Amino acid sequence: MKRAFTSLVGAVVEAWQELRVHRTRVLLSLIGVAVAVCSLTTVVALGGIVQQANQELSERQSGRPASLFVSAFSNQGTAIDSATMDATWAETLARYDITYGSRVLQTAQAVPFTTGVVDVQTQAVDQPYGEMHRVRLTEGEWFTDDDAAGLAPALVVNQIFWERLGSPELRTHPTVELGAQGGRPGTTAVIVGVYPVSSYETEPAMFMLADQLSAMTAARPSVAVQDPYGGGGSTQYEMWVPPAISEQLMEVVKRDFTSALATPGGGTGGVQVDVYRQDYAQYGDDPFLVTKLVVGGIAVLVLLLGALGLVNIALVTVKQRVREIGIRRSFGATAGRVFFSVMMESVVATIAAGAVGVIASVLLVQNPWTMDLIGQGLVSDFPPFPAEAAVLGLVAATAVGALAGLLPALVAVRVKVIDAIRY
Amino acid sequence: MSLLELRDVTRTVIPPDQPALTILNGVDLTVEAGDRISIVGRSGSGKSTLLNLLGLLDMPTSGLLTFDDRPVKSYSGAARDRVRGAQIGFVFQQFNLLPGRTALENVAMPLLYAEGRSFWRRKKLAADMLEEVGLGNRMHSMPDRLSGGEQQRVAIARSLVRGPRLILADEPTGALDLDTGSSVMQLIDDVATRTGAALVTITHDPAIAARARDHFRLDRGILTRADSDELAAASEALS
Repeated sequence: MKRAFTSLVGAVVEAWQELRVHRTRVLLSLIGVAVAVCSLTTVVALGGIVQQANQELSERQSGRPASLFVSAFSNQGTAIDSATMDATWAETLARYDITYGSRVLQTAQAVPFTTGVVDVQTQAVDQPYGEMHRVRLTEGEWFTDDDAAGLAPALVVNQIFWERLGSPELRTHPTVELGAQGGRPGTTAVIVGVYPVSSYETEPAMFMLADQLSAMTAARPSVAVQDPYGGGGSTQYEMWVPPAISEQLMEVVKRDFTSALATPGGGTGGVQVDVYRQDYAQYGDDPFLVTKLVVGGIAVLVLLLGALGLVNIALVTVKQRVREIGIRRSFGATAGRVFFSVMMESVVATIAAGAVGVIASVLLVQNPWTMDLIGQGLVSDFPPFPAEAAVLGLVAATAVGALAGLLPALVAVRVKVIDAIRY
Repeated sequence: MSLLELRDVTRTVIPPDQPALTILNGVDLTVEAGDRISIVGRSGSGKSTLLNLLGLLDMPTSGLLTFDDRPVKSYSGAARDRVRGAQIGFVFQQFNLLPGRTALENVAMPLLYAEGRSFWRRKKLAADMLEEVGLGNRMHSMPDRLSGGEQQRVAIARSLVRGPRLILADEPTGALDLDTGSSVMQLIDDVATRTGAALVTITHDPAIAARARDHFRLDRGILTRADSDELAAASEALS
């Protein structure tokens, strides 16, 4: 045990002396390893972040896994009563204890800005929508119960909308007059939150609560450019449920809706109910598999190039070290010790280079400029630097070190001592 | 009890596409503690091969090689390396100091393969040994900043730092001028005498060989006792 310990310490001392003496060569070869590890780690980390960005974008557009959409239409061409649909929807959510459910209605509201009245694209939703679609806010907050209970409709507007109003402080409860036009009074709505926009969006947009839109339209039909129920736009019904039970829920929700919408005389009365998934994970396969494979392939290629450079240098330099190895052998270094020392030297050096590479990668990936470039302001849960990328970088560096050290170490133990000394 | 013994030792190699070549043939040699032995021979006479065997770096093709009366064949490779490290010190013609390491690090190098106190106190032991060979003021000098004589002194300190019982000197003055060579040999002699180590010097220089008590000649792989008077005369003629 004592011998093993002193051998280990001795090997580390030898390795350190070697690294110190040959620092220029070692540094040059390790720069290659550090760059390779940095590239590998960065590619893996960026891959993770890009995947997160893609996932968030998908979730914003079509919901998180598993998002079920319910739609119903009459085969006779008549509109289905929206009140009945709403009531059935509410019953279904209550019956299956579904927390995250929202109606979604695309509409437009006339909003007076200083530059004129603009028909602003509006999504009327229920409170859970914000969580279901990862709506991220830069100012204020998403609709609360207080907002839902308020007399004035609450609005969550996009950055463009907010800036057109002069970016007012939300704690001053800024308002807009929905539907006000040419001296005609509108409905006063309060802005409670602001969400960011991507670089390609140029028009104002906003969210409001479906119940408030409905109440507002009922009270003042003239304020709505497009009637929410039955007047052109159609409401979507969306629920976010655990993927494991989504298949089962689809069946029972369809059954319940079909039953509820049946004509009083019996039968379904020509009503077609569909319940379907639209989220990115609906097909079960990993939708980011191709991204992962491409990223992984590039990373492995980069690492192989780094390893090749190191092995190349190691093989060239081992020839120069034959004499030194012979001297050490003549003073009692066993073959195992020489093998271990040469390996240790390579592994210690590459681990150090790997650590530098990983640190450089963290600095590269986690700086605000890179985040903005990748996230485009749309990623709300910017993932921390993936630990697996850092671990992978260090493991790869160690593996490269061991691989690059193996060949010289094998050559080293085969050195004929006296020949080496007289060489 | 003999320290090292060769009995009818033969060493044969088979060069590629050539018949077997006998380099050492029927060599008998006994080395006792405190012996002073010189072996002279021309280039190609088998001196290096004999040095390999004496230093436990090679094994005989036939015959018996023992260390401390134990057949060397019975040692494992690692055990042989450890015995060599602990019991045998080498002094080479070309000094063979490790470049880029200070004199102190060079002398401490063999102690990296030691155990216990010798390992942990290696710097102190190396410093003491350098003081002993008169290089206390050059401990932190790199080999390329030392003269030939100083380098050989460092090499001697390195070979003695683990207190070997056998010192193998392979042309120890071959790279030195006459005066420096003489003082280096005197140093090796003195240290060997003080520590009781046996000294085997392999050389082609009769003057160096003449310093030993027992003289051998190696010619075409055959080791014979040399005539001391003849060596002394050769040494006289050369000086």
